[in-house]
Amino acid sequence: MSRNEIRIAGAGGQGVVTAGRILAEAAILSGSHATHSQVYGPQSRGGASRSDIVIATEPIAFPLADSIDLLFILSSDAFAKYEPELGPNGHLLVDTRCAPESLNGSATQYPVVDTARAVSGGQLVTGVVALGVLQAHTQCVEAEALRQAVAARVPVQHTKMNLEALSAGMGLVGGESS
Amino acid sequence: MSAAQLLQGNEACVKGALAAGCSFYGGYPITPSSEIAEQMVRLLPKHGGVFIQMEDEIASLASVIGASLAGSKAMTATSGPGFSLMQEHIGYATMTEVPCVIVNVMRGGPSTGLPTSPSQGDVMQARWGTHGDHPAIVLAPASVGEVFDLTVKAFNLAERFRTPVILLYDEVIGHTRESVVLPESVDVIDRTQPTVEPADFWPKDAAPAGVPPMPAFGDGYRFHVTGLIHDHRGFPTTDGDIAEALITRLHDKIEENLDEVTDVETFMMDDAELAIFAYGIVGRSAHEAVLRAREAGIKAGLVRPLTIWPFPAAEVAAAARQVDTMIVAEMNLGQLIGEVERVAAGETKIVSYLRVDGEPITPTVLLDLCVSGGGGSS
Repeated sequence: MSRNEIRIAGAGGQGVVTAGRILAEAAILSGSHATHSQVYGPQSRGGASRSDIVIATEPIAFPLADSIDLLFILSSDAFAKYEPELGPNGHLLVDTRCAPESLNGSATQYPVVDTARAVSGGQLVTGVVALGVLQAHTQCVEAEALRQAVAARVPVQHTKMNLEALSAGMGLVGGESS
Repeated sequence: MSAAQLLQGNEACVKGALAAGCSFYGGYPITPSSEIAEQMVRLLPKHGGVFIQMEDEIASLASVIGASLAGSKAMTATSGPGFSLMQEHIGYATMTEVPCVIVNVMRGGPSTGLPTSPSQGDVMQARWGTHGDHPAIVLAPASVGEVFDLTVKAFNLAERFRTPVILLYDEVIGHTRESVVLPESVDVIDRTQPTVEPADFWPKDAAPAGVPPMPAFGDGYRFHVTGLIHDHRGFPTTDGDIAEALITRLHDKIEENLDEVTDVETFMMDDAELAIFAYGIVGRSAHEAVLRAREAGIKAGLVRPLTIWPFPAAEVAAAARQVDTMIVAEMNLGQLIGEVERVAAGETKIVSYLRVDGEPITPTVLLDLCVSGGGGSS
C-alpha cells in the first residue's frame, strides 16, 4: 500500500486549511483514500496555520501525519516551526520569500506568495497557487480532479480567480529557481 | 449506500443527529465544536426542527431538556468550558429521566486552556462532573464514520433509557476530514409511550430496573417534573426507602442492560502478548502502531472502547488476563488508566503513555513502546 503525507504550512489568512481540504477532495475524486487535518491558532488572521493531507491507496488507519513526505512552507514563521521537523526522506517546497539564503540544495523554491498577489491582489489564494505547484511537481492527484475540487469548494463569485491561481501555480513548475 | 464524501467529524455528528431524528438544538458555539452549531442552524429548520442559540451553556442544556419534555429529540454541543457549565443540568436530566444528547468536543484545559488543540482531559468530568450518585453513558468515537454511528447510538440510548448520553471526542476527531460512505438509513429507537389512560397515569411508574414510559407535555398526560427525590407520582419526598429505590433504579436500568450499551473493539488480540488500550484519536494511533509492530514480529493487539462509561470492565479484564503488558495511552495525565488498573491489577503489567502538550499521540511513539515492551515510558 502507498501512503503519501503532505503538509502545507503558512500563516492564517493564506487559505492553507481550505487548500488542504481541496487537495483531499481531489484525491477522493482521483479514486484514492484521503484525510485532511488542520492546526490553527485562535486568531482569524496571522498566527501559524497548517493542513496535513494523507493520500493512500488503502483505507487509512492513522488519519494524521506521522512522517511527512512533502512539506510546503508558505511563511517565515512556518519555516521556523516546521522545517526542523522534516525527516531526512521528506521533500521540501518553500515560498521564495520565506526561504533563508542558507537553504540546502534539496529544497525547491517557488514564488507562491508573489504569484498569489499578482493573481488576486492579496494573500487569500496563496494556498490554491500552492496546490497548483504541488500537483505539477508531484502528480499526487490528477490535474482535472484538482480543478473540479477547487471549483466545487470556493465561493462561486471567486471560481475564475481561483482557477487562474491554480493554473498559475502549475505554470511555475518547470521554470523554478532551485 | 451513498458515494464516498470528505466529511469532518463535526459534520458527521450533525448528519448522525438528523438521521436519528433530532428535531431540536439549543446551544452556544465554542471551538472546537462550533461546526456542529453552524451546520445545525442551516440544516435543522429544513428538516422541520428548531435551532435556538441560547445565552450560555447553562441555558443551552435547559432548553434541550425542555424541548425533550415537549417530545423532541434534542441535543447540544460544546467544549470544556461550556461542558463545565452544563454539569448541573446533566444531573437534572439524569434525575428527571429526560432523554438528551450532549456532545463535548474536547480541547486542552483547564479553563479556556488550549482552544484549538486536542485533549482527552474531560473523561472523568463526563463521568463525575455532576454531583450525587448517578449513572453515565459516554461514547468515544475514533473516526469520522464512527462519529456518525455513535451519534445515532447516543440518541437511541438516550431514548431507550431516558437518560442524558454524552458523546465525547477530541478536537482532532472533530476537525479531521476523512472519506466516508454513510448508510442510507439507520435503526432508530423512540421513547416508550404510556399504554394507560391519562387518568391512570403516573410518570415514574416503573419496575425496579425499568424505564418509565414518557409522554410529551401537551399529549394529555399530566405530570410533574422535579430534580428532588420523587415517588412514582413524580412528587417530592424525603422517604429514604423511595430515595434508595429511585437512585438504584436510575443505575440498574443501565447496568442490567450493558449488552445494549457496551462496545469494545479488539484488533489482532487473538494471539496478542502485548495490548495497547486507547480510545478516540489515540485508538487510531494505536491501530497503526499495532500494524507496524506486527510487521516487526511483535505480537501486539488493540483494545479500544467505544463506550468508555460505563467502563467495559469485563472486556478489559479479559484482555488483561491474556497479555503480559498493557500500554494505556491517553491525552491527559491519567484518567481512564485508573479504571484499567482497577479491573486489571495483578493480571498484567500496566504501562502508561500520557501527553498534555496539545499534540496527538503518534503511532511512532506507541510502536517504540511496543518494541521496548513498555519499558522507558513516562
